[in-house]
Amino acid sequence: MGVEYKINRLAATNDMRPMVDRHWAELRAAKERGEKVAWASGPSFVFPYAMGMKCHFMAGYAAYCGGIGAADELMKLAEASGELPETCSYHRLHMGMVEAVKKEIPIKKPEAILPLPDLLVAGRYCTEQSHYSESFYRRMGIRVSPLELPFIFEKEDRPRLREFVYRQIKENVIPNLEEVCGKPFDYDRLSEIISVLKKAATIRNECWEFFKTKPVYWTLWDYAVSMAPVIYMMGDPESVPFYEKLLKELRERKEKGIPAMAPDGEKYRIYWDGWIPWAFLGKFMRKFTPNGAVCLCGRYPWEMFPHPELLDTEHPLETVADWMYGEKGLAKNMAPKESVEFIGGLIEEYSIDGLVMFSSKSCRMWNLSQMDVVDALDKRYGIPGVVIEADMIDPAMISDSQIDIRLQALFETIDGRRRR
Amino acid sequence: MQKVLSKIAEVTSDPYAYVAGLKDRTGKRIIGCFPMYVPEEIVHAADLIPVVIWRGNESVTWGHAHVPAYDCGIVRSFVDDAVRGKLGFMDGMVFHVRQCLQVGEFPLIIERNVKPAYMKILYLPPIYPGDGVRSFLLDDLQSFKTSLEDFTGKKISDDDLKRSIDIYNENRSLLERVYEIRRERPGILKAREVMQIVWSSMLMPKEDHNELLEELIKGMEKKTVESKGDRVKVIPVGCLCQTLQFDILDMIEDMGMVIPDDDLYIGSRYFANKANINGNPIEALADRYLTKIPLCPTKGVWDIHWGDEAIKQMKANNAKGIISIRVKYCPPHTCYYPDFKSKMMEESVPEVMIEMEHEIMSLEGVKTRLQSFAETLGGV
Repeated sequence: MGVEYKINRLAATNDMRPMVDRHWAELRAAKERGEKVAWASGPSFVFPYAMGMKCHFMAGYAAYCGGIGAADELMKLAEASGELPETCSYHRLHMGMVEAVKKEIPIKKPEAILPLPDLLVAGRYCTEQSHYSESFYRRMGIRVSPLELPFIFEKEDRPRLREFVYRQIKENVIPNLEEVCGKPFDYDRLSEIISVLKKAATIRNECWEFFKTKPVYWTLWDYAVSMAPVIYMMGDPESVPFYEKLLKELRERKEKGIPAMAPDGEKYRIYWDGWIPWAFLGKFMRKFTPNGAVCLCGRYPWEMFPHPELLDTEHPLETVADWMYGEKGLAKNMAPKESVEFIGGLIEEYSIDGLVMFSSKSCRMWNLSQMDVVDALDKRYGIPGVVIEADMIDPAMISDSQIDIRLQALFETIDGRRRR
Repeated sequence: MQKVLSKIAEVTSDPYAYVAGLKDRTGKRIIGCFPMYVPEEIVHAADLIPVVIWRGNESVTWGHAHVPAYDCGIVRSFVDDAVRGKLGFMDGMVFHVRQCLQVGEFPLIIERNVKPAYMKILYLPPIYPGDGVRSFLLDDLQSFKTSLEDFTGKKISDDDLKRSIDIYNENRSLLERVYEIRRERPGILKAREVMQIVWSSMLMPKEDHNELLEELIKGMEKKTVESKGDRVKVIPVGCLCQTLQFDILDMIEDMGMVIPDDDLYIGSRYFANKANINGNPIEALADRYLTKIPLCPTKGVWDIHWGDEAIKQMKANNAKGIISIRVKYCPPHTCYYPDFKSKMMEESVPEVMIEMEHEIMSLEGVKTRLQSFAETLGGV
């Protein structure tokens, strides 16, 4: 009889939901309190935060709506208002929400309704991030502060891209914020945020050691629900105690020999590439867990701050630019060529058995050249991989049988190679 | 005139054979430039032949192992052509990776599977406010120029570049003249012929194309056309990056509509705006790129509405309606389209959207939509 696998859930991650709920509740109430509101895409939320604004984060909002079950209804509203179903699901989600606001359409999850912003800080990693903010401008005249954030396709391009991004922050983002808020940019507050972030990221990175162990003590699903404090809740003082509690629990698990996967640890250690399927975490857990498979690491939803020691509170703007575009910045891993090197490093460091490339049908940001990335890594490391086609929040783009068959093929390939 | 059109049809009916033959004939190296904004003039000034990469003529086969089915037609078709070795005559390729996400598919796939002798990535930024954008763009263009100099071992002087810009500007003027005559005498050319004329400009050395256009224009100026006054004029808009199936253009005309002008990439967008040859030529190319009109949804412009521009063009041509041609899985157009449609509705402008794919699509469905659109306009 086969082993019956199940996930040992972490208790610390239960604290996350109230923190996230508080974040969005404060944002919802901001206008009533006379506070300025920004919406942001990419990592640009840190600038409105420095100005004391309440700020939304495009992907964070999508994760939130996915989590509370609001996404599908909002996307349907968007489609009813003319959005096309092949458009980025995050784009449709936001258009649906704005449609509900504009036409006062009641929705089943009213907590998904946000105040419209005084400023859109449009970080443009992916071109859709620009399209959605442009559309808000056209529809409602909402002011936009754009920020082009290119992936680094060739290593030698990094310095000039870093300079370009830094210059846009200075020339465009900050003056826009100063004008909207009617006060000078608060560099001290930005330093404070980075100081909190540095502490939180340092503790969080210690948690990473528990992904490297065999058996593993936590999973990508735990990780997914606990990432907000270093992303769109950056600088929140509660982020430090949250990660301290998480680290404590992981240490205790190790001491007591409680692996993430009951009863005795995982059978397959899986690399996960691409977005987190926010609206379908349970569904995906149920696809991996019975097979004894644990997803451990990836590109997008990974450490975010692999080198917190480089966060420099004395030079906050530079440090934000360097986070993405410094020598160890994250933007280089976003382009496929560098990602082969990066994922190769993860395969070795985390003893990975197989790769699952989550290909979003509506967002190609992490999809680029995925099939070639899998092929390159298989040839170099002998690690098999599969591409699964789905979406982060749109149930219409998920085909269970396609995903099940490909995952099964992956597990069988790993077994086959182990027998060699 | 017919001789010129036959030559153009020959070039575009088999661009692979034509471009490969061009290389043999001239002994020059071929650089494929992925549409839409690679400044071909710099390639030309390096004494290389730039050709604009095209959507292929076959269904995708091997390409499925490299790109998903939910990428647009030209992305899938180009990758397919490349990995099947159909583009072996290209000595170099240039990709503008910030135009849309899908162009970012290419660098790794091409490098791993069919790396040409020269490959360059351009980051050409969106037209955002701030001096940093122009400065970065200049830097990007300068880096492009330097990489070509390294490839050829020959410096590109300002004079070289100005000569190339001049030749390209001449081509733009001639194409404008072709369009001007068509506006005056709609129906003088079939819409498919006009698209072939512009497409051939993307494939042929501009010097050769200029000669053809001069001859064509002479013929057009002499040709009389039976009045199409009873036919309803429509303006096709969109179809970014790639050719439209000619059958659709034929169908529009067969429905009794006539196309006096267009807002298509393989159309008026390709030759819009000249580069200034006075002053620094790299700056001239940058300024051409930074021109906001014709509005392109890939360029991050929000203070001008594409719908307003299309309506202006429609009115200037006394046209009665707009046919949006949206490439399936083209996010820039797809994201913009609802606002475009809203503008049409606000302004009571008749508009219909046709979705096109690389592989054979249901032309019957398209026909039905066009037929009802033509009837709405009172044109049948």
